[in-house]
Amino acid sequence: MPDVSVVVIVYNDAERLPTAVQSVLDQTLRGVEVVIVDDCSKDRSYEVAQELAAAHPERVRAFRLPENSGGCGAPRNHGIRQTAGRYVMFLDSDDVLERNACRNMLAAAERTGADLVSGMCVRVHLDNRWNKTTEWYPWIYARTRTLDSITEYPDLLVYDTLSTNKCYRREFLLEQGLEFPVGIHYEDLLFSAQAYVAARRITLIPNHVYFWNVVEKASALSISNRRHEIANFVHRMEIHRRVDELLAAKGHTAIKSAKDAKFLKHDLVLHLRDLPLLGDAYRQEFARLANGYLAGIDPAAYENVTHLQAICAYLLGKEDWDNLLPAADAMTNKGRLCSPLAERDGRVYWCARHIDDPADDEGRRILDVTDQGYHTAPLSSLALGNRLTSYEDDGRGTVTLAGRIVNPLGRIKAETPLKATLEFRARRQIGVRSFTFPVTTVRHAGDTIEWSTTADVASTVRPLGIIDAVWDVRLKLTAGGDRMTTRVSVGGVDLESAARLRVRPRLTRLVSDRFEPEMTKKGNLSYVLTAEGRAAVRTQALLNNAMHGKAAGVVKRSLRRALKARRNLGSGEQKVKLYHEVFSKLPVKKGTVVFESHMGKQYSDSPKAIYEEMVRQGAPFEAIWSYAGGKPTGFPKEATLVRRWSWPYLRALAQAEYWVDNQGFPLALAKRPGTTYIQTWHGSALKRMGFHEPRTKAQGKAGQDRFQAAVDRFDHFLIRSEHDVRTLAKGFRLRDEVLLRTGYPRNDALVEAHRAEVQSGERVRGPLAAELGIDPDKKVLLYAPTFRANADGTVEGFEFPFDVEEFADRLGDRFTLLVRTHYLNSVSLPPSVAGRVVDVSRYHDITPLLALADGLITDYSSVMFDYAVLDRPMLFFAYDYEKYATDIRGTYFDLKEKAPGPVVATADELMQAVGAFDEADAKYAEARQRFLSEFGEYDRGDAARQIVEKFFTRSGK
Amino acid sequence: MSQQTATEGGRDVFLVSNSVDELGGVTTWSHQMARLLSGRGHRVHVVGIAPVAEEIRQKLPADLPYEMTTLYATHPPKARRLHGVKGRLNAPERRRQASRRAQMRAKADVLTGMFRAAAPGAVVIVTQVWAMEWVSLADTKGLSVIGMSHESFEASNKSTRGERVRRFYSEADRLLVLTPEDADLWIRAGMENVDSMPNPLPFMPDEPAPRTAKVVASVGRLSFEKGMDLLLDAWADAVPRHPDWTLRIYGAGSEEATLRRHCTELGLDESVEWMGSTSDVLGALREASVFAQASRAEGFPITLLEAMAAGLPAAAFDCAPGVREIVRDGEDGLLARLGNTMELAAHLDALMTDGALRDRLGDAGFRHVRRYSSEEITDRWEELFAFLER
Repeated sequence: MPDVSVVVIVYNDAERLPTAVQSVLDQTLRGVEVVIVDDCSKDRSYEVAQELAAAHPERVRAFRLPENSGGCGAPRNHGIRQTAGRYVMFLDSDDVLERNACRNMLAAAERTGADLVSGMCVRVHLDNRWNKTTEWYPWIYARTRTLDSITEYPDLLVYDTLSTNKCYRREFLLEQGLEFPVGIHYEDLLFSAQAYVAARRITLIPNHVYFWNVVEKASALSISNRRHEIANFVHRMEIHRRVDELLAAKGHTAIKSAKDAKFLKHDLVLHLRDLPLLGDAYRQEFARLANGYLAGIDPAAYENVTHLQAICAYLLGKEDWDNLLPAADAMTNKGRLCSPLAERDGRVYWCARHIDDPADDEGRRILDVTDQGYHTAPLSSLALGNRLTSYEDDGRGTVTLAGRIVNPLGRIKAETPLKATLEFRARRQIGVRSFTFPVTTVRHAGDTIEWSTTADVASTVRPLGIIDAVWDVRLKLTAGGDRMTTRVSVGGVDLESAARLRVRPRLTRLVSDRFEPEMTKKGNLSYVLTAEGRAAVRTQALLNNAMHGKAAGVVKRSLRRALKARRNLGSGEQKVKLYHEVFSKLPVKKGTVVFESHMGKQYSDSPKAIYEEMVRQGAPFEAIWSYAGGKPTGFPKEATLVRRWSWPYLRALAQAEYWVDNQGFPLALAKRPGTTYIQTWHGSALKRMGFHEPRTKAQGKAGQDRFQAAVDRFDHFLIRSEHDVRTLAKGFRLRDEVLLRTGYPRNDALVEAHRAEVQSGERVRGPLAAELGIDPDKKVLLYAPTFRANADGTVEGFEFPFDVEEFADRLGDRFTLLVRTHYLNSVSLPPSVAGRVVDVSRYHDITPLLALADGLITDYSSVMFDYAVLDRPMLFFAYDYEKYATDIRGTYFDLKEKAPGPVVATADELMQAVGAFDEADAKYAEARQRFLSEFGEYDRGDAARQIVEKFFTRSGK
Repeated sequence: MSQQTATEGGRDVFLVSNSVDELGGVTTWSHQMARLLSGRGHRVHVVGIAPVAEEIRQKLPADLPYEMTTLYATHPPKARRLHGVKGRLNAPERRRQASRRAQMRAKADVLTGMFRAAAPGAVVIVTQVWAMEWVSLADTKGLSVIGMSHESFEASNKSTRGERVRRFYSEADRLLVLTPEDADLWIRAGMENVDSMPNPLPFMPDEPAPRTAKVVASVGRLSFEKGMDLLLDAWADAVPRHPDWTLRIYGAGSEEATLRRHCTELGLDESVEWMGSTSDVLGALREASVFAQASRAEGFPITLLEAMAAGLPAAAFDCAPGVREIVRDGEDGLLARLGNTMELAAHLDALMTDGALRDRLGDAGFRHVRRYSSEEITDRWEELFAFLER
């Protein structure tokens, strides 16, 4: 008896059948037989099958169905009945098995006693020039895993619906009467679901077992092609219904819920993408089918999908096409904002419909997009939807385009001047390949911005040809000071009747001579170079052959190498090399100081305080400030500004006499002996730092040596107390002579503010209070939590650990809450709390905010040590203290023991403590003094002056 | 399936390593397996490619119940790839490499001769990838070829061995690694012939240690990799609550002076005893009640196995698949995330505090570790031989 029987089905595929069969005969496992079942082909398939059987009489048998079944089900069922092996697998005539597939499947099946073993399927893209492969749901097959029931892993049934990458115990198939459905598409979905549900044990193996050869038509399907998809959709819904029936019969509600979530996430998206192109009749039919199905979906499934997926399903249910189509566009193009939004009662909604009906709470819940922060994010960071409304051409080379850009919540004000350009941009950027046209009309139009322009594409856009075949169209909008780039989505505009534009590629017109408008997979407008002239068609064919030849391989490889080399020039590695080998050989420029705060993200902290003190004292130095990101905002104009990691930055660092920074210049950059590094550091430590961090301890020798080398660059390190000596200095393994016991320059202003307050007996609010529009009668609280990181060091996103709207409602009449997230995080507040809760995260420097605040709420941020200087009340909202202190990072002392203020754990306790704010003040006065003397004894208000006098105003300078 | 299905009269089994007697785990393993397989009636032949220098040679017993061959009389020159114009012009080196390759073919022919003489059903087990360079040149038709990698996936891929495993073992009938988790990693890295096989236990006492002394033991080289510095950090966190306990560190190594200094800085001189290396590991373990291991990297840590075989509950960093494979966290030992010395300290604290926990975990480990007994592992090998013939 063979160990494994492989059922190979074939229909009109005589040519490829032998390859499929050979992949079975070549298996490393010897005990394998092949059962070929021909679905009554019209070509020589059956003859070929018989020839194979004759050539391998012991191992191959051939069968033929009496009449064509039109699907995969009937031939596979016939095959199962003919098999003799202890295990059965399925193979299609156009695919192949991995050489070790049967051995690996058999080993797993015998080791675990599984009824069903499943391995990874790999899609091989035959029409891709490099024969690209993609793994099919690799996350399911990340590791070997054995399930005693499919309920242990519903995603397996939900996602991997193939029948071919599996090995079934034959007795199991027979006992359970498992067969493929006949006369319906998507038979795999039902068969695999039945098998998963029936199996008493399933083993998954990470091996590649099945190569699925696919040819994707690169060009978008035409409308007529899409029309027949409604028939497919009917089949798909029917199969889904049958699978659901099976799950219901077995009581698998959890699997059904997971399957529903997948339907919302994937299946629906697939079909929604096509909707803009299709007529009303199709849409109605589609909605009828889909809504019938959606009605049966588990409401809990909505909790596992993204907000847009839920919005799409909801709007489809309402058959609100006007709002659904933009939502579908947004879902296909992640992050795109395609709807003008609406605001009600301080919340932001996806669209204005469906939110005013008092009874429709569900609609409001689903359409609420306040948390996405569209109302607060900088305009230039939004990817605004831009839909084509008309497309005309003169049949030659000029097109007239018009479209509408979403203006969310009217954030682009009616009086804002508008300008726009239309850009054609080669998708493969070899050199910078783009051509722009002015947009003649851009104007405000209600909740959109309308634009139109005529572009003489033929005589302006000059592709190279061959290597830049695809061109994307983008519109760049300038509204006042904000610049936004939008992709143009085709929407419902019909491109099929549009003419191909004549173009003149620079290399040669013999290859391609037409520019064909096309909709990308994601529904955006692009142009593709094609051939129309006879000469061009011929050379294109020649070229296609040549592109796959040996000579072409050499050319392509060297081109790729050249491109890689060009990319590498700007890479970090190359820059570091040049920094050390070239820049560091240039002479040190006496008198230059490079400043950086928090890796260039801010103009703040002690580097700022030192810089300002230098300016005040008129120290003769050239100051260079490093900034991160696109363009510097809030940095001093008098200083030279260099972007972090740019060539000027590296050069400035290499030649600087001084480095001043509060966190760390790039670790990879060595400091030359002629440069003095003043590390101000950015806070005393509660959590373990440097070599005391578990993450550092886990590093290998090389990593630790690199880290040691980086901290060894510090020539001076500022500290505020002997606590810093015990913690930071040890954590970074600093020598004692490196330590400067000056206190923090950033805190000079706080010491001064405290002195002034004590002397005058009153607290004076500076101009910042007015700028923030703070009510003079309300107390100001600053909420400044630290960030949280996972064990691997990745930073978690910020979420309010309390309900900020509730806070505003309960305490907003007495307090103004300023929220400042750690610079690694950001926050978006709902409009409802405006005036009562204010986001101050964009202020670079926290010191003025500390001086302004009448009280501080923090968790474990080092800001607690600085604020202590002011001797004002503090509140510690340590809702995850156990986890923070013991689980990931570890602390140097017990916060609960030393905290100079109430430590609360829940949101409710927090609000009660804020309510009792004044009473707590006096109670903790003594604790605050203790805290300050332990952690801030050297903060005496003259740190910046000490530093500047020590280093920058020496005689002779 | 069991060992009874093996070919009548036993198989010819070739165990091919870099050398037959180089000091180290692979040699110990090869001779242990050779003894075990001979005991089952197989005709074992231990083959080394080259001899090693005197100072790193392991002393082998005189009367081995199996054959032993070393192919080279002296160590062959290093392989070098010659690149570019400079390489092309380096005539002496090119001659050396050509003669090296000729030598390799000649030695591979010797192997071919041995393989040809074997009875049907013979198996070649290549324990190290360097040795595979010779085996892959030999004619192995009709034999099952099993390659092995005696280290974690991560360790392989941090050295050049990762690449060489991919190159030389891809055509082997099976590539065996230490744990199923490592096997998965190799599979995901593109090797489709991978399976796993654990190492057998060197000893299996009849009863667990008494666990009465207030002693935590750790056994290992004093090197960065073994993480004794991290163990001291954890000990510094844990010992203040247990002043009557002692940490005994067995082992020697290059880092000893640094570690002793670190120990003094942490103020642990009172509670830490430096025991030096020992030849009686079991004896040392039986004098302790808890085992600690703070390694940064491991393959299939034999000391951890030994501690469990001795009946000690272990607290260790979860630094490699081999550790997770041996210890089931909370059932027969306690694992901490690599580098998280606070967590390791908490585990040591729990084990020192709670005698019942020590007994429960220690007894469970003592039972569970039997799955690596030499009987079990030899059975698995024989099943694999049979499977590869199907």
